[in-house]
Amino acid sequence: MARFDNTYSKFVAFAKVALPLASLALLATLFLFARGKEIGLSIPYAEVDLETLAREQRIEAPSFATVTRDGAELEISADIVRPDLSTPDVVNSTIVHGALRMPGNGSVTLKADDGVIDGPAQIAELSGHVEIETSTGYTITSDRVATLLDVSKIESPGTVEADGPAGELTAGAMEISQDPDTNAYLLVFKNGVKLIYQP
Amino acid sequence: QGTQIAFGGLKHDSALPVEITSDQLSVDQNTGKAIFTGNVVIGQGTMRLAAKTVEVIYGSDTSQIARLLASGGVTITNAGEAAEAQNAEYNLESGTVTLTGNVLLTQGNSVMSGERMVIDLNTGTGRMDGRVKTILQSGKDQ
Repeated sequence: MARFDNTYSKFVAFAKVALPLASLALLATLFLFARGKEIGLSIPYAEVDLETLAREQRIEAPSFATVTRDGAELEISADIVRPDLSTPDVVNSTIVHGALRMPGNGSVTLKADDGVIDGPAQIAELSGHVEIETSTGYTITSDRVATLLDVSKIESPGTVEADGPAGELTAGAMEISQDPDTNAYLLVFKNGVKLIYQP
Repeated sequence: QGTQIAFGGLKHDSALPVEITSDQLSVDQNTGKAIFTGNVVIGQGTMRLAAKTVEVIYGSDTSQIARLLASGGVTITNAGEAAEAQNAEYNLESGTVTLTGNVLLTQGNSVMSGERMVIDLNTGTGRMDGRVKTILQSGKDQ
C-alpha cells in the first residue's frame, strides 16, 4: 500500500477503509433492532365470539314493515333478531322500536326491550317496560303489549299507566284499534280508569 | 223565574286536583276527543259528580281542561246536598256546574225541581230557573 507523508492522505486512506465497514455494520444491524412486534396491534381485530356467530343465525338492525288491512303502515325495527329455535317463522328480537301511521294523521310509536314476532299468528308481542306514544300526546307505559300485524290493533292486557294532556291516569287495560262503525282509530283504556288532573 | 239557594255552603276550592274514575276512557286518535264512559265519577274536594258519560273539552292549549260535559243522568253531591239532572256541564275555569234537563234538588227534606240550575262551587250558591216547583216539608223534622 503506498506510503503518504502528510496526515491528511493517511486520514483519507484510513477513511476509505473504515467508512464502508461502518456502513456495512450499520446495515447489518438494521433488521436486528426492529421495533418488536407492535406492528400487529395497529390492525384492529373484531373481538367477536366467532363460535356463537357461526352457530346461531341472527340479523343485525332489521326492520319489518307492513300495511295493515285498514291501510295503516306498521313498521317494526329491532337491534338484533334471532329465529326462535323451537317454532319456525317466529323471531325473538331485542330493543324493539315500532311505529304505526294511521290513514287519518294519527300515529303511534312503540318502544320495548324485547319482542317476539310470530309470523303465522300475525302478532308481535312486546315486553320489558314497553312505552307507547300517541300523536294525541299520550305516553303509555305497560309491561306487555301485543300488536297485530294484519289489522292495526295494539293492546295491552295488563295494567297501564299513561300521561296525557288531561293528566296522569292508570287503567286496567288498553287497546288502540279502529272502531268498526265510525272507522275512527280509538285509544281505549278499559277495566277501570282513574285519572288525576291538576288544574 | 229563578230562586237563589245555598248549595254545599262551605267554600269549595276549584284549584284542587280533579279525579275522574270510570269504566272506560276512549280517545279519538285523529281529533284527540276524550270520552269517559261507564259510571263516571268526577271528584274534587267534597264535590262528587256521577254520570254515565263525560266528555272532556280542552282549553286553548291541550294541557288545560276547560269543561267537562256529563250526560246520561247526572247526580251531583256536595257536603250533604244532592241534585240530579239529565246532563251537566262542569266549567273548571269558572268553577260552576250547570245542570240542565228536569233538575231535582233535595235539601234536608225539602225538594225543588226546575229546568235549569247553575251552581257556583266557589261561593257555594245555586240558582235554579225554569218552572221551579218547591215542596217544603213543614213541621218537625222526621
